Formats: sequence, structure tokens, C-alpha cells
Amino acid sequence: MKIKKIGILVAAGVLAAALGLFGCSSSSSSSSSAQSAASSSSATTTSAGYTLQKAGTLTIATSPDFPPFENLENGQYVGLDIEIGKAVAEKLGLTPEFKTLQFDAILPAIAAGGQADCGISGFTVDPEREKTVDFSDSYYIDDQAIAVMKDSSFTSEGIDSQLNNANVTIAVQSGTSGEEYVQENYPNAKCQAYGNSTDAFAAMQAGQANAVCTNKAVVQNMLADAYSDAQIVKNVATGEEYAIAVSKDNPQLTAAIDQALKELKDDGTIDSLINEYL
Amino acid sequence: MNQTNVRGRRWGAALLALLCAIAVVLSMAVPSNAQAMEIAKCTARPNADSGSDVLGGTETRITWEGQATDSESLQSISLTLPAGTGYSLDQARATILTGEDHMTRVSVPTTFSSDGETITATFSEPTDAGGYYRLEIYGVVFPTAGGDMPIQATCVLADGSQEQVGSSTIAVTGVSVTKQLTNWLEDQPWVQAWNSVKFLKLFFNPILLVSSFPVVLQGFFMALAIVVIAFPLAIPLGLLLSFMRMSKFGILRGLGSLYVNIVRGTPVFLQIYIAFFGLPLAGVQIPPFPLGIIVLAMNSAAYQCEIYRAGIQSISKGQFEAARSLGMNGAQTMAFVIIPQTVRRVLPTLTNEFILLYKDTSMLAAVGVMEVVMYAKTIVASTGSITPYIVAALFYLVITLPLAKVVGKLEKKLANNDTGSGPSSMSRKERRAAKKTAKHESLVDRRIDLPDANASAEAVEVSPERFSSM
Repeated sequence: MKIKKIGILVAAGVLAAALGLFGCSSSSSSSSSAQSAASSSSATTTSAGYTLQKAGTLTIATSPDFPPFENLENGQYVGLDIEIGKAVAEKLGLTPEFKTLQFDAILPAIAAGGQADCGISGFTVDPEREKTVDFSDSYYIDDQAIAVMKDSSFTSEGIDSQLNNANVTIAVQSGTSGEEYVQENYPNAKCQAYGNSTDAFAAMQAGQANAVCTNKAVVQNMLADAYSDAQIVKNVATGEEYAIAVSKDNPQLTAAIDQALKELKDDGTIDSLINEYL
Repeated sequence: MNQTNVRGRRWGAALLALLCAIAVVLSMAVPSNAQAMEIAKCTARPNADSGSDVLGGTETRITWEGQATDSESLQSISLTLPAGTGYSLDQARATILTGEDHMTRVSVPTTFSSDGETITATFSEPTDAGGYYRLEIYGVVFPTAGGDMPIQATCVLADGSQEQVGSSTIAVTGVSVTKQLTNWLEDQPWVQAWNSVKFLKLFFNPILLVSSFPVVLQGFFMALAIVVIAFPLAIPLGLLLSFMRMSKFGILRGLGSLYVNIVRGTPVFLQIYIAFFGLPLAGVQIPPFPLGIIVLAMNSAAYQCEIYRAGIQSISKGQFEAARSLGMNGAQTMAFVIIPQTVRRVLPTLTNEFILLYKDTSMLAAVGVMEVVMYAKTIVASTGSITPYIVAALFYLVITLPLAKVVGKLEKKLANNDTGSGPSSMSRKERRAAKKTAKHESLVDRRIDLPDANASAEAVEVSPERFSSM
């Protein structure tokens, strides 16, 4: 048993060294990661060429208010994103450590560095966001949905013109693609941003907003659990690709995560997780 | 009953099918007039720092959607943008949505090509008939002048015939002065050099400093409006509470203490949540702006109550006795003798309370009140830079710093007056030292209670060092 483990370690070491050599030959990217490692003293560079906040640990920033992707149950992080984070960390041979940040603070934190290695929090790949961070390959594809209270006057027939109205307030989560969808498609309505999706739903129930627009899986989950008195009036097949956000200074980590995701896809882990949580 | 219902529905369905069939036959019978395709939507993603505006001279993404008639399959779709519009085909995407509510995406192998202002999406093979198409073009930059931008769409049918689909417009706002300024800044070498340092770019990005200023400014007016209304509202409420707490009647005293203790014993953040999400559930509907004012006023009243109480009780007992001996009753004593003296004494503490209340308006961001922090947050979320928060900090400092100065001046004046009027246990030297610390501490400290009201009037005689600990 022990010998086997050592064997694996040696193999991993050789592989890492090979990767490291490979990384060195491609000039620009490796030098920038070396620079960032030097500038933040607490970060450590692994043999695979990527930097980590804490040696042996993959620090993952998440905003646990987005069930079924991530939320807290009895103080424990649960959800699809959490499981994927754990699985990726395992593939990389690291211990996952989750860190709670407000959703709209995660990408700035990843870009600034120093707080987390990557962000897994239902992030949609988006060219605008790609200017600040790198994204891994996607692990899930989601759509948008709009929910209203059942006792409201909104109906799915002609919903667009009902919503695009000056006296309509649509609650969204700040910094999400749902917020952008509302601003683009319902410019006349008031787009009210909340810190998390739970608050957006609470606001709709409280009558502060007429509708909520956010990711479909989240809306479905909310309606199934806490808001059975609400209903979906519109689905939009936006085809948003969920991916893991990594600092631009850490391209080797993105590559390693891509590799891990590919393996998890190939062995069916991701599919079974999606079936379990959604 | 049930059966007739079912039968009725069947009849309905059959009728509908017949109508559809007629419609299809008709549309095939007159091909020259029939539209092969209809535009479902054509929008551009908002690219201002907040809100729904689409600005010229700034990158955006166009989403165009169209529904092909049931019988038509397409070879390509072309969009013609207005002259002078820039675009990039790198991220361009074509998707076909199928299913009853267009919820199933079929990605079609598409090549994008362009010829001047016209972008053409050519499908690798003719598509299935009657598809719902979505084209997304990234990196679109409309002319800086703005205006209504016409987007002309044409399609090529499977048989090779070209057909006009129609035109739609996107309202584009002209570039604002700040946007022009930021565009100019973006090209400056010193800005690029400055931003190449990660720390400076994240915290003091000059481009974002300029662009977020007018946006956060709107929040500044909101925060000011809230505090300017909430604070005066809290004054009578605080006075009332302080009289309750000093009342002869145990019930009033108890009620006053209960209110003050509960409000001061819970975070204002929690009070805001309870008011904004709890009250509406109980059937009380108040719009966010007045509700925010009410919550902050009620919160501040509890703190002000203690300020007034301590202020009143700090007036020497001799003043009460002298007024009574002149024949004044209780109310007259309060109104003409005690309160005027109290005002002078509590003014510095009250100014501090104003500063605290102004800063507390930021908590309303959590419930969607568009104030300073909320506006800054939206820009941080879309840019990933901390700079808008720095701008927000400036908007707080512009109020708090001058007021802190005022507090210092008031304290000085109070100390000087006290030297002339009453006996003091402090030497001149001690007082000067106390004044010095007062200046430093007035902004730093959180709320600390005034001297215990039950202590004897002699002991509470207000001296500068008392106020310095506020």
C-alpha cells in the first residue's frame, strides 16, 4: 500500500516536473505567474507551475445563496458547484477550502488575488468578464427564468410587454447575467439589484418587486422549496455556460482545472452530480 | 360533464389544426407577399456603468432573433449595421431555438463573414424549416453621436432567393462628457503606465474614478436626502423618549427604556432587514425611500434620547431650584431654563450622531435603496475594480470631515464658555490637553453613552473631557 502511494507520488512528481519544464519554454505566461508569486509572499508556487494561496489547498470563493448550486445547510457548504469544486480539488491532489464572499465581490477578489485561487459560484462565461479573469471550460449550461407571485396579474401570455413597463420592478441579483437580461430586454422596467438571490425572492414576496429574474435552476429550486406561491412566467434559452473563474496571472491553474474537468466529464462524475442536484 | 369537456376540447383542437392548415396553404399560395421570416427581437446590451442605456462609442453586444415561417429553411442571414459602426466577429454566435417555448438550443455550424457594414451568418447546410434563429454579435461599437440605429436584416432561402426580413432600431445614447473624458484617458500613455501597476489599477484606476463619479453622485444625493429628512424627524422622537425615561411614572420610564435598549442593543442592519422584508409580509407596504428614512430615524431617536437625557441631567440642580423659586412651573422650567442650556451642551454630540447616521445610510444598500454604496457596488460588479468604492469613500468624507471640524470648534467654544460660567475641577492645562484629544477622537469613536444620569448633578457638570469621549 505504502509503496503504491510512493509510486504515485513519484509519478506525479515526474509529471509535474515535465509540465514545469514545458511551462518554462513558453516565455510570457510563466514569467507573469512567477512575478505574481513573488509579489504576494503568502502564495506558493506548486511544482505544476501554478500558484496557490496556501500550499496543498485549493481556496475556492463562493457565494452560498444560490441553491441548488451553492448554499449553506447546517453550516456546511452544499450544492452542485461545491461538489464540483471538491472533485476538481481531489483531481489536483489538493484539499478544497471554501470561502464565502458576496457574489459581486468574487470576480474582483479573484482578479486582485490574495483571497482565493478560483471562484465557483454559478459564473457564466462572458466576454466582458473575461477581460478581468480567465474561465475554465464549462461544466454546466443554464438558462434564465422569470418568476412572479401566483396571485399577481402577470400571465405568461404577452409577458414581455407586461414586464417592460415603468411601474414594474424586477428584482435581480447584483452582477448576474439575469440583471443584464432585464436591463437589455426590459429597459422601461425598474431593475432592482439585491446582494443575493434569496433577498431578491424575499423582496418579491414582500411586494417590493413584481418579478424575479435569475438562473432557471435557481428559480426552480426556490419555487420548489420556499416560494410555492410563485410561478415561472417565462423561460429564456440563453444557454449560459457555467465555468470556474481563475486569475489571469495563473494560467497554469486554469489549464490544470480544465484537465480535471475533462476527466470528470469523461468518467461521468459531472453528469451524475448534475442528476443528483438538479 | 368531464366527457363533454374532453370532447369540446378535441373539437377545438381539430378546428385549430384546420385553421393552421388553411393558413399554411394560404401562405404557400401567395409566396410573393408572404414574409419568409419575422423579426422577434433586436436589442443591444446596456453598456453604461449602470442602468439600461446603450452608449455610442462603447462596446456592446447585439442580440437579433427572428422566426422563420413554418415552410422556410435558410442558407444565411445578414444584418446590416448603420454606417460607422464597428464590430468583431470573433465571438459571434448563431443558435437555433426549438421546442414549444424555444427552450432547446441547437447550435448550427456557422461561418460569419462581413462586407462593409453587413455581417452575414452562413449556415453550413440549409437549416430545418421554421426555425427560430438567434444571432449574437460582440464588440459592436455604435457611432459616438448616438441616435436611433437601424439594423437591416435579410435572409437567403434554401432555394437561393434573397429576401428582406425587415428593419429594427436600437436607441443609442450619445456619448456623455465623462465617457469622452474616459475614452481620452484610455489613450493616454501615463494612464496606461499607471494602470500597469496592479494595485493602482485596482484601487485608483483614473478611468474608473472619472466614469464612476457621476454615477455615484446620484447615490450621494439619495444618501443626503435620507439623512437630511431622517435626522430632524429623530429629534422630537428622541426628546419624547428622553422625557419618558426621566418621567415620574414607572410605566413611561419602562417603555422608554425598553425601546432604547432594544434599538441600541440590535444592529441597524438587522432592523433594516426586519423592516424591509418583515413589514410587507404583515401587510404594511411602504416604498423603500420613506421606509429607509423611518428605520434610520427610529434608530437614531434611541441614541438621541440618551444624548438629551444626559444633557438635561447634566444641568446643575441649582438651575431647577432657582427657576422654581421664581415661580415657574415644571414645563416652563424645562422650556426656558433647562433646554436652552442643554442645546449648547449636546450640540457637539448631536453633530457626531449626524455623522454616524449619514454613514449608516450605506446599510440601506443591502435592501436595494440606490444610495452611494449601492451605485458603487454595481460598477464594482461589472468592472471588477475596487476604484468605485474609493469614489464612494470620498462622497462620505466630503460630509464627515467638515462636520468633524465643526464638532471640534463647538467643543472648543463649549469649553471656553464653561470656564467663564461654572466651577470646574480642571486646570487650564488639563483642559487644553482634553481639547486636543477631543479633536482626534470625535470621529473615531462609536457611540458611547453620556455620563450616568443617576449620578449627582455636581458630578455630571459637563466639562470638555466628557464630550471628548463621545
